[in-house]
Amino acid sequence: MALVETQDLVKNYVLGGETVRAVDGVSLSIERGEYVAIMGASGSGKSTFMNMIGCLDVPTSGEVRIDGIATQDRDGDALAELRNQKIGFIFQQFNLLARTTALDNVAVPLIYAGLGSEDRRAKARAKLEEMGLGDRLDHSPAKLSGGQQQRVAIARALVTDPVILLADEPTGALDSKTSEDIMEIFETLNNQGITIIVVTHEAEIADHAKRRIEFRDGKVIKDILVAHRRIVNA
Amino acid sequence: MIGNFGQKFSAWIVNVAIAMTALRTNLMRSILTTLGVMIGVFAVTLAVAVGSGAQVSVMQSINALGSNMALIFPQPDSEGGRTTFDRGRLTMRDANAIKKQISGITDIAPQLRTSIQLVVAGRNASTSAIGATPGYGKVANAAAASGRFISEADVRSAARVVVLGPSVAKKLFGDYDPVGETVRINRAPFTVIGVMESKGSSFGNDNDDIAIMPITTTRQRFTGDSLSGPDDLQMLFVGFEDGVSLPRAKREITRLLRERYRVRGKDINPFTIRTTEEFMKESAQVTGIFQIVLVAIASISLLVGGIGIMNIMLVSVTERTREIGLRMALGAKRSDIRNQFLVEAAVLCVIGGAIGLTLAIAAGTALTIYADFPVPIGIGVGIGAIVFSAVIGVVFGGYPAVRASRLSPIEALRSE
Ligand SMILES: Nc1ncnc2c1ncn2[C@@H]1O[C@H](COP(=O)(O)OP(=O)(O)OP(=O)(O)O)[C@@H](O)[C@H]1O
Ligand SMILES: [Mg+2]
Repeated sequence: MALVETQDLVKNYVLGGETVRAVDGVSLSIERGEYVAIMGASGSGKSTFMNMIGCLDVPTSGEVRIDGIATQDRDGDALAELRNQKIGFIFQQFNLLARTTALDNVAVPLIYAGLGSEDRRAKARAKLEEMGLGDRLDHSPAKLSGGQQQRVAIARALVTDPVILLADEPTGALDSKTSEDIMEIFETLNNQGITIIVVTHEAEIADHAKRRIEFRDGKVIKDILVAHRRIVNA
Repeated sequence: MIGNFGQKFSAWIVNVAIAMTALRTNLMRSILTTLGVMIGVFAVTLAVAVGSGAQVSVMQSINALGSNMALIFPQPDSEGGRTTFDRGRLTMRDANAIKKQISGITDIAPQLRTSIQLVVAGRNASTSAIGATPGYGKVANAAAASGRFISEADVRSAARVVVLGPSVAKKLFGDYDPVGETVRINRAPFTVIGVMESKGSSFGNDNDDIAIMPITTTRQRFTGDSLSGPDDLQMLFVGFEDGVSLPRAKREITRLLRERYRVRGKDINPFTIRTTEEFMKESAQVTGIFQIVLVAIASISLLVGGIGIMNIMLVSVTERTREIGLRMALGAKRSDIRNQFLVEAAVLCVIGGAIGLTLAIAAGTALTIYADFPVPIGIGVGIGAIVFSAVIGVVFGGYPAVRASRLSPIEALRSE
């Protein structure tokens, strides 16, 4: 059973009487453990597609299945639970809570998972240490570099031990050196078995992935497995 | 079960922490918003307290009058009907008949009332005098603190003796105990035989500004001319034992007096009977209405405060749309978002309410001390004010909170 499966996925936006087909009948499946890069020109529907498989957005028609669960039958609260347990999000702008420590930022998903405060702190601390931020626990985002902020965001995405990591242009706001660091983290995570789907414009970023899907005008125009794999951190 | 409760409790604690962070972030705005609730809670709490203070002082003054008692006075009862009497009737013979024929009576206190001028060694005081019998002491909860009260012998001999209320005694004699001294009352010398126990004041009315003398003396010297019969009374207190039904006693006395005055059918009685129980009920009603009006007026300011809360919460939700979207992406359910903003509104209101309550307690204490008006703010009122503040927060924060919880995750997340 595929981890992510879409069937004739369509998202239309109606703007001033005109219909924009942002995602136009996409059917694909992504297996557990894959590392997928989604590419395509600006406006080709990459983010719209990601938001639907992340259960943040509702399709106009078609189906999304996450880990065998048909999402269209689920109400908002059930989708919230699904996002909480199975999906980790990473955003281009990090989306950390301002004036909130790294530790508290990472602990946010655990609040909604229903964990007590001791457990939350322990898990958040462990994830931040994994991301090499053990000495930045009490720093607020304003006191962290972009790369550090994105690592806090990754720790937050991973803290509930999700099966999928969805990253929409995770390096879009970072310099190339820092981007490489983030990509190394992604590879390590993928090696640990986490499924990663990353939207990117940059070929160097996409090169890290094992599979490349290309969008144009809301449709998948290319879907290839990349044979070549770099070896990191040998 | 316990674990589940622990989790829920922990979630609320988190919400309070989030609320505190958010409120601190916009500290000035939070303070200004909470000012409205603070003023509202202050006004309502004080209104409730002043209302119950009024109730307390009314009850106190009724109790000072004497508990469980009927007051009868010679005034035609005002409810409609035919008048056969040109004036009210009440005599000593009526009083004795009541004492003999009605059951459960502890004693009776027939009275005459007048105003007098007392003079001693160049000092003078004018006060109201009660012409009484020894029964007055028992019925009206009055006793001599020093010296003695009026005796049967004083009444029989129409003795020129007087018992002074503490205020009068103080005015004439200062701190010196006047028992045994002579005072001139309307030029005639009287011996002071006692000083009454203090009954305090009610409604700024000094219950101790009084003098009591034998009823016979009063009749001979002061009120004789103004009364139509030598036996007439101006007031009769009838004291009852505890547990006696006052409405029933009133019916029995009414029947007896109607028989004595041959009042028939719907004709008006030449006397009026009131009981302390009626006074209590009526004043409870009046002070109750007084309190409701006060609280209603004060509530307007609380309403305005609540609207301020709603306004600022709507702003807060709009400003934090992106945060709401993020929380939803990370797994927050609608109820989580709703509760977060409800708690924020409630925290804002409870802080305002606590300050308002503190100010009300201060103002109430000041009123009690400087205006001699009891303004009781008990634990119940205090807890009520805090709980009510939280309720205001939930009610006025409700709409913004629900609005926040209905946002679509992606639209919230994309908002700037
Ligand atoms: N909320 C919206 N309302 C109307 N149209 C929208 C909305 N969101 C996206 N679109 C349109 O849908 C199309 C696909 O947008 P999408 O954001 O998915 O593109 P993208 O591939 O992520 O582009 P980029 O690389 O610039 O991020 C675009 O034409 C866009 O204008
Ligand atoms: Mg995009």
